[in-house]
Amino acid sequence: MPIPPVTRTLSQAQLEAYADASGDHNPVHIDPEFARTTPFGGTIAHGMLVLALIGEMMYAALGERWAAAGRLKVRFRAPARPGDTITASAQPAGDGAYSVQCANERGEVLVEGRASVGGAA
Amino acid sequence: MTSPAPPSISALPRGHEFAPVPFAVAPGDVRAYLAAVGDAHDYRGLVPPLAAVALGLAALQAQLSLPGGALHTGQEVEQLAPVRAGERLTLSGRIAQRSERHGSVIAVIEFDIAARGDTALRARTTIIAPGEGA
Repeated sequence: MPIPPVTRTLSQAQLEAYADASGDHNPVHIDPEFARTTPFGGTIAHGMLVLALIGEMMYAALGERWAAAGRLKVRFRAPARPGDTITASAQPAGDGAYSVQCANERGEVLVEGRASVGGAA
Repeated sequence: MTSPAPPSISALPRGHEFAPVPFAVAPGDVRAYLAAVGDAHDYRGLVPPLAAVALGLAALQAQLSLPGGALHTGQEVEQLAPVRAGERLTLSGRIAQRSERHGSVIAVIEFDIAARGDTALRARTTIIAPGEGA
């Protein structure tokens, strides 16, 4: 079953909202002065905020089956930054699972892994 | 009187067991999560799996702190049963793996969330954090 992609542009306000919603106030996400002192040179999005695009995409396609029996295994490969436009996408992996990823507008893969429902992820 | 700060993830040994944490994900928590991530879907009273993971990690914050340079490098989640907004949950977790590399600590937090007496979600969260001497 094809799964439509989900695309969204991140903003600093969204990082701050996610910090409040999740309780993750790591300064690398919300404190530009601190973040400038890190190797990233500025704030980066929470990995779980980027990953939420994959969760949204899978729920849109699979509905409550995803909320009841979703399985996901990913690695965070590169950071997303405010202003980046991120696309989550899925490709059938041939065994009922999907290869999933999030990539930015430059084609850099930020998150990749596998997703399934009630099977091997 | 203030409580002592929880230990840094960098200081916790492999095998460390966290005390079980009772918590709940209120309907308002789900709304705030969905608004923050920009997800407009109606989850019909269910907690999205990744919201359960994120808020489960938040529930561990009294027992675990992450230094400012900590980064999330991997995530696994296995939803075994639906979690409903507002129901009583219990999180049980441990440091399943720990290694050191170039002055950083790589730790895997493994945790289960139980609802209605059974495990509803299993997760593994990999974090890389500055070592204690960094």
